[in-house]
This record gives sequence, structure tokens and C-alpha cells, in this order.
Amino acid sequence: MQTTSWLEIAVEVDPESVETVAEILARYGYNGGVVIEQGWIAGDEGPEFQYDPHRPVWLRTYLPLDAQVEETRQQIEHALWHVHQIRPLGPIQTRTLAEEDWANAWKQFYSVMRVGKRTIIVPSWLEYQPQPDDIVLLLDPGMAFGTGLHPTTRLCLNLLEQLVQPGQDVLDLGTGSGILAIAAAKLGAGRVLALDNDPIAVRVAQENIDRNRVGNTVTVAEGSLGVGQAMGHWLSGDFGPPEPDPALHEHGLQATFDLIAANLIARVLITLAPDLATALKPGGLLISSGIIDVKEEEVAAAFTAAGLQPIARHVEGEWVALVHRRI
Amino acid sequence: MAKKLVAVVKLQLPAGKATPAPPVGPALGQYGINIMAFVKEYNEKSASQAGSIVPVEISIYSDRSFVARLLTPPAADLLRKAAGIQKGASTPKRTTVGTITRAQLRQIAQQKLPDMNANDIEAAERIIAGTARSMGIKIVE
Repeated sequence: MQTTSWLEIAVEVDPESVETVAEILARYGYNGGVVIEQGWIAGDEGPEFQYDPHRPVWLRTYLPLDAQVEETRQQIEHALWHVHQIRPLGPIQTRTLAEEDWANAWKQFYSVMRVGKRTIIVPSWLEYQPQPDDIVLLLDPGMAFGTGLHPTTRLCLNLLEQLVQPGQDVLDLGTGSGILAIAAAKLGAGRVLALDNDPIAVRVAQENIDRNRVGNTVTVAEGSLGVGQAMGHWLSGDFGPPEPDPALHEHGLQATFDLIAANLIARVLITLAPDLATALKPGGLLISSGIIDVKEEEVAAAFTAAGLQPIARHVEGEWVALVHRRI
Repeated sequence: MAKKLVAVVKLQLPAGKATPAPPVGPALGQYGINIMAFVKEYNEKSASQAGSIVPVEISIYSDRSFVARLLTPPAADLLRKAAGIQKGASTPKRTTVGTITRAQLRQIAQQKLPDMNANDIEAAERIIAGTARSMGIKIVE
């Protein structure tokens, strides 16, 4: 179908009328599609949220601007008028939208990104001529994971640049896109184990590892450390009972590392503190990130109790990254 | 990684048939998330329910990553199936296009409860009964 632009039909409704009005919009809207924008309240940490039942909800649908558009708009108006007889309803708002290449337009939000002193993140649709010292990470923004835009990831990349020594054994716990594991490999690590307890992360990380040709150095696997094995998804908060599980050995790798990067969240770091300490060689270093400033003391206390000694502290905005050494 | 939630968007789409065209493009494009990755994921996950409307809840984070979670079909879709009709009435106060029983109403309310802004089954039933009324579907004992 050839269209040059679209008519957006938007209406504000109370939460109880969402289904009713959505049904009407779906009857007329392009591809039966309806957008529902409902107010929400964020949790204190991580991805949890709750819908706010006291705020109105916006519903939107789209009509191709063609010869029938005015007739269809009137039909919607008519049907909503009937709903309005039994439920409160805001007035219909319309605006026209130009046709866009939506399949590719999101790419404009991304560019070649320099992180730290030498690390460059390059999306696959862009070209980049690397400088002699550059560590180039080829990463596309995907579904479940970003691309180093987040301060917690930037803090980790900076620290990896400073701390990775050639030939080291490195663990990337909660690897996500694999970005930190790939950076460690390109910075000269000998062997890198990338773990995540989300199977989608494991798949995405493996794709990125292959794209960056570091498959010889980096092994990616689904799993965690110690009590982390019983935790479910990192961010779910469903920690379960602490049952240590020596899953690391199943992957045929030594469970001791020269360097661990754990870009997680505060409460997960606290839960895993003893396991992180055990997984380090004596003198080994732990980079912990994803710590929101108000939780920093709690995390630091858990690490000290686990026999780790604070070495460095980096801050970006409200996010803190810590470096500890196993005594 | 700690991720900050920046937006939550729900979309009602025909199962397996999402495209980057509206409503997906305009609804998600402004957040800079990978639209094609979303379309692929939605169509893969919803393919088994082809022929139904399958709503999806997309949580978008500050690093432009996102999570898509399929929800239960809209009440209107379940009501249409229960009443055995193709579409709702265009003049619902005047026309009755179909009927469902109280038991069917309760069953739909139970199925929808996890995704509704209702604290209990009675409230859920009330909301769904309202949807039925506005579609011209009558509830019979």
C-alpha cells in the first residue's frame, strides 16, 4: 500500500474504559493496531514498575491519509460518542504524521561512540577507520541489551582499559550483550568466561562475540556464581534459597580469576559478595558496577565482610563503580 | 546491569502480523529502540495465536534496550469469541448483537485478571461487563 502520511487519532480515557475504547479503535485503525499509554510508577531499583490506576490513559490508532480517511474518522467519532454516553471520555485529538522509514529511523539515535580512552563502539551500519591504539567493539543495539550507553557500562569499560593485563583470566558476570567480555578479550585477556542467567543474553552475547571474532578467547554460558545459581533472572528479585552450585566447573574452566567484572545491581552484588570473593585468585581484582549511590555503603560493607579490600571508586551521575582486591 | 525505566508502552496488534508501520513505528520510534528486533520478537512469540489480537507490553530503558512481554487477549476479543460474533455493534445502546452468560463473563474476568487494573474478580467482572455493554453484547443469566 502506498501512503504518504497518516492520521493519528488519540483519545484520553479513564483506566476502566481502556478495553472498550481500544476495541473501537482496533476496528478502524490500520492493521487493527492500538497504542495504549498508561501512567506508571517506577520501582526503587531495577526494572520493576506499577501502573498508576489514578492517571488517565492515552489510546492512539493510525489511519492512512487516503480518500476514506474522513469517513473512517467520522465512524470512530460516532462510536466513541456512544461510549461517552456511559463513560467519561476526553475529546478526540488528531494530528497528521509524515510517512517515515520506521524500520531504519531508530538508527539515527546511534553513532560511533568513544568510551574511555581507547574503546570505540561501532554499530554495524556505520563505518569507522580505527586509530592505531583503538579497541573497536562492533555492537548493534538489540532487544534485551543496550550498547554501552549506560553509565554503569561506561564505568566498567573505563576500568577494564586500566586494569586488564595480557593473559589474564577474566570473568564477566551478567554479561548481557557481551560488551565487557569482548572488551576484555580485545584488551589482551587470556581467557574470558561470560556468564548470564538469561538465555536470551547468552544467545545475543554469542552473536556479538562471533561478530567481533573473539570466540577463541571468550566462552559464554548460562549460569551464575554460587548462590546466584538459585536466583532466577538477575533483575527479578526472586533470589530463592541460597544453594551453592559448582556450575562453573561444568564449563571446564577454573573457577578462579585474575579479574571479575560484575555490572549488576546493588542487591545482587550484596547477595553474591562471598561468591565473588571466592572466585578471585588471591590478589585478584573485582570491578563492581550498577551500584546506585544510596546503596554504595551497603555494597562496600558486604565486600569488606567477604574479605575484599577497596582499591578505587569511580562515579558517573548517580552510579558508582568500585574496585576491590582479594586479600 | 542496572537499568532505568524510561517508558512503558502497550500495543494491541494482530498476532504474528506486526510491521514497522503504524502503530509500531510512531509508538516506539521516538525512543530509539531497535524496531525490527521488536517486530521480529513479537511475531515469533505471538505466531501460535494467529487470528487473535495479542497485546504486548514494552518496557524501554535508559540504555535504549527493551523487554517485550505478551499479555492476555483484550476482553473485547474474548467477548466476541464467547458471543460468537465478528464485531461489536456500532450503536451499542440501541442494538444487541449477541449474548453471553454470567458464567462466561466470570471465565473471561478470571482469564484477564492478571493484566487488569482490578483488585478482585468482582471489579474485573464489572469492567468486562461494561465492555460487553458498549459492544452491544448482553449478559444473560
